[in-house]
Amino acid sequence: MNRRTLLQAGAGFGASLLLPPLAAPALSQGAAARTLRFVPQANLANFDPIWGTQYVVRNAAILVWDTLYGFDDTLTPRRQMVESEETSSDGLTWTFRLRPGLKWHDGTPVRAQDCVASLARWSSRDSMGLMLKAIQKELVAVDDRTFRWVLSKPYPKMLMALGKNSTPMAFMMPERIARTDPFQQINEYVGSGPMRFVRNEWVPGAKAVFERFADYQPRQEPGNWLAGGKRMLVDRIEWTIMPDPATASAALQNGEVDWWENPITDLVPQLRRNRNVRVDIADPLGNIGAFRMNYLTAPFNNLKARQAVMAALNQEDYMRALVGDDNNLWKKLGGFFTPGTPLYTEQGGDVLRRGPQMDLAKRLLAESGYKGEPVPCIVAQDQPITKAQGDVTADLLKRIGFNVDFVATDWGTVGQRRAMKNPVGQGGWSMFHTWHAGADTINPAVYIAIRGNGERAWFGWPDVPPVESAIAEWFDAPNLEAEKTAIGKLNAAAVENVLYVPTGFFLTYQAWRANVSGIVKGPFPVPWGVSKA
Amino acid sequence: MTAYIIRRVLATIPVMAIVAFFVFSLLYLAPGDPAAVIAGDQATPQDVERIRESLGLDRPFVVRFGSWLWDIIHGDLGVSIFTNLPVTTMIAQRIEPTLSLMILTLILAISIAVPMGVLAAWKQGTWIDRAVMGFAVLGFSVPVFVVGYLLAYVFALELDWLPVQGYTALKNGFFPWLENLVLPAIALGGVYIALIARITRATMLEVLSQDYIRTARAKGAGQRSILFVHALKNAAVPIVTVIGIGIALLIGGAVVTESVFAIPGLGRLTVDAILRRDYPVIQGVVLLFSFIYVLVNLAIDLLYTLFDPRIRY
Repeated sequence: MNRRTLLQAGAGFGASLLLPPLAAPALSQGAAARTLRFVPQANLANFDPIWGTQYVVRNAAILVWDTLYGFDDTLTPRRQMVESEETSSDGLTWTFRLRPGLKWHDGTPVRAQDCVASLARWSSRDSMGLMLKAIQKELVAVDDRTFRWVLSKPYPKMLMALGKNSTPMAFMMPERIARTDPFQQINEYVGSGPMRFVRNEWVPGAKAVFERFADYQPRQEPGNWLAGGKRMLVDRIEWTIMPDPATASAALQNGEVDWWENPITDLVPQLRRNRNVRVDIADPLGNIGAFRMNYLTAPFNNLKARQAVMAALNQEDYMRALVGDDNNLWKKLGGFFTPGTPLYTEQGGDVLRRGPQMDLAKRLLAESGYKGEPVPCIVAQDQPITKAQGDVTADLLKRIGFNVDFVATDWGTVGQRRAMKNPVGQGGWSMFHTWHAGADTINPAVYIAIRGNGERAWFGWPDVPPVESAIAEWFDAPNLEAEKTAIGKLNAAAVENVLYVPTGFFLTYQAWRANVSGIVKGPFPVPWGVSKA
Repeated sequence: MTAYIIRRVLATIPVMAIVAFFVFSLLYLAPGDPAAVIAGDQATPQDVERIRESLGLDRPFVVRFGSWLWDIIHGDLGVSIFTNLPVTTMIAQRIEPTLSLMILTLILAISIAVPMGVLAAWKQGTWIDRAVMGFAVLGFSVPVFVVGYLLAYVFALELDWLPVQGYTALKNGFFPWLENLVLPAIALGGVYIALIARITRATMLEVLSQDYIRTARAKGAGQRSILFVHALKNAAVPIVTVIGIGIALLIGGAVVTESVFAIPGLGRLTVDAILRRDYPVIQGVVLLFSFIYVLVNLAIDLLYTLFDPRIRY
């Protein structure tokens, strides 16, 4: 008996003398072992994975909704809801057949028509989906288990589009739900995934509950990320949102929660000292730190000014600011793609790995004609990653000779201001910081931030035609070697033109109780196969 | 008295109207874009604009304010931009934890602080007085979150007497409910106890120096009777005033306390809504807190009549 139980017993005895018996929750040990208590990375404020593309929504959505295909840990799309697929010899017609016996959480069968409607909604929001929609001639259900997608030109990356884990994923929903305007939220959370969403226990921002779907039909293969059999070994998953990392750390150590998605690096040593807690890398695909310069306004509309910043860059400074002294958590990056993945290249990226060349940086700045104009650097203080990077950048820019206007703000304001194309001094900006999940930087199809198509590019609006040519070449590449060639050219062009500045590659941890087993590394928390003793 | 109460209640309408205008205007002027937050980093600027239009955020200020005001008059606080739930539903989900925390803190604070203040006044100049005032200084000085972390570390992590975090609804049992609130209430109550104890001491000292106290002593009244019957009752009016003003401290402190102890209350709801720019939720919660505060002030004014029969409305 621990002291808390003793105190409770004593208080209970004392109270029982004064008060009538009062109800108390009685969660049996068996039920507790079937409930997994999870602390997610962020607040689950909404639950439409097509409308809202935040990672936390995606991580919850994979419990409730299934996909036609799913990436395994080799980033290969494998069949999930699909039993088979056929492509016509000209590559223009894709025919998909669903597995038999798939059901929605309301008990109705999954039909091809549901998939057609879901793909229509998804393809209105996703970058690869929009490409498909642009070349779509027909998307139609042939029978209850078969649907056909007819295109006007071949799209070899179809299965990648349908199985990728970058947001928004191609989740399948009942037709009545999928018919919701893609720019409006859905109101029902019915899927065919291994867990049901318990809506009446949802407190947005505080708690979300999922219960095992008894009629789920997992595939026969072993589970592997989003591929294979998604066998749930717990009956219930409770998400508890904890905004304070110290509280989450204490709760994990005290056994009040079972699994913490994203402990901050500072608290990991304390967690490691607790014999009831295990710590390991969360996502082998990691993250790429980044800052982006505004191509539309001075001084960074000048290539030499951008190159000056890159010449002075020291990735180690950024990574130490992010992850401290743990050398297992970071490495230098000579490119823009995810290390360890097939398309990673450092072609043309020596300047990133070389280390700071301050003399060169100052010379380049002088050659750019910079006259001391303010350089508004907007830095979100409520995001540890951007705050740490922003502090390093401010110092770096000053040492080169820039007149830094450090704008300390919050992420919401950064989101608004970075969309503005006004000149500096009229609400514009010169630089902002961010980071990209490694799962979103594996290839150009899912990598919105690598585009160099000017006004249509991501914030900063880089205009780099060689990058766009290389991307087009990649899309048309017939095999992996050709893809690598294209990516090599892309990387070199992106570095030479400073499309954006990658500040390094870093990993994060996850932590769990020792009585929990089956936790694997992945780009999202993988709940199937996880059990509690 | 009834007429007074009715007048005060009616007076809340212009007060709430002013609060509504200010909170709406400030949010309209504040930087940040909920559409960008909703769309996420993978979205294009065109996506963000589409979302902004679908939420009506591109409409002029007057149109948005008029529409919102019309809904408020009909008891509709609107729908959350992010959750798509009615704001009233979200508030209803979160109000019990916050009220529970505030009420428990209030009870704890008053039951500790008033006797502390009386004791300090009675033993003025002694080590007891200095100890009480020293504690009060600590209460003012140490931030709520620091106290919270220390309490959680000692009583939850080390001693395992109480949970680190969370909230159990009262319907699930009184002791589990209480167990979750003890540490947060102590953390939140520190400043409040300090404030009430000091005011109690100050007003008690003033009252204890009055002639009628000397008369009561001369008539043979015991010390307890003098302190708690004759003196405290006369000192009650300023104490009750400070308790009422301190409710605002509690509301502000609840935000921090709820974050530290992961209590799903209105404080956290407000912070989350502000960070996301969930305008309807921010507006709804601010209006609610304003209304509560107006009612609290009314209650305080009515309480005066209990302590001082000379006060009549």
